[in-house]
Amino acid sequence: MPDNDPDKVWPTGLTLREAEEVHSYLIDGTRVFGAIALLAHILVAVTTPWLG
Amino acid sequence: MNNAKMWLVVKPTVGIPLFLTGVAVSSFAVHVAVLGKTNWYSNYLVGTLGTYTASADVLPAETQNASLTAPAPAEGQAVLVLLPDGTTARAVLESPVTLAATDGRVPVPIDQ
Repeated sequence: MPDNDPDKVWPTGLTLREAEEVHSYLIDGTRVFGAIALLAHILVAVTTPWLG
Repeated sequence: MNNAKMWLVVKPTVGIPLFLTGVAVSSFAVHVAVLGKTNWYSNYLVGTLGTYTASADVLPAETQNASLTAPAPAEGQAVLVLLPDGTTARAVLESPVTLAATDGRVPVPIDQ
């Protein structure tokens, strides 16, 4: 199957391996952002009248 | 990594800024909506933290008629009082003082 060829260059100029690398960075960044946002929301919930 | 294949058909130079912009705009909109529908943050900015409100059913009987109660106010603590006509007044809480003229006794004269 040519679609699973890791060395095929796709229209965006990326191979499947490069696309997975880009995606891994995006996932990591989302996780860090989520962790910081979760901490910030916990602090706001504790220190302000938010959520009653 | 199922979604990694999106970068085979979407340029990361287009998709990633779009994604980050979407996150920023949506989170900003949510925060504006929350702060726009509530008043505690605007009250905080105005500076009305000195006001206390409490439900009447949790107050002791002797304070049922009080429109304002403060838990153990510190000496000299200033509070903002909401008057019935909607205006506000600033009050300073002080410990009760019994004046010599009201306790039925003549104050002891001080020798010069």
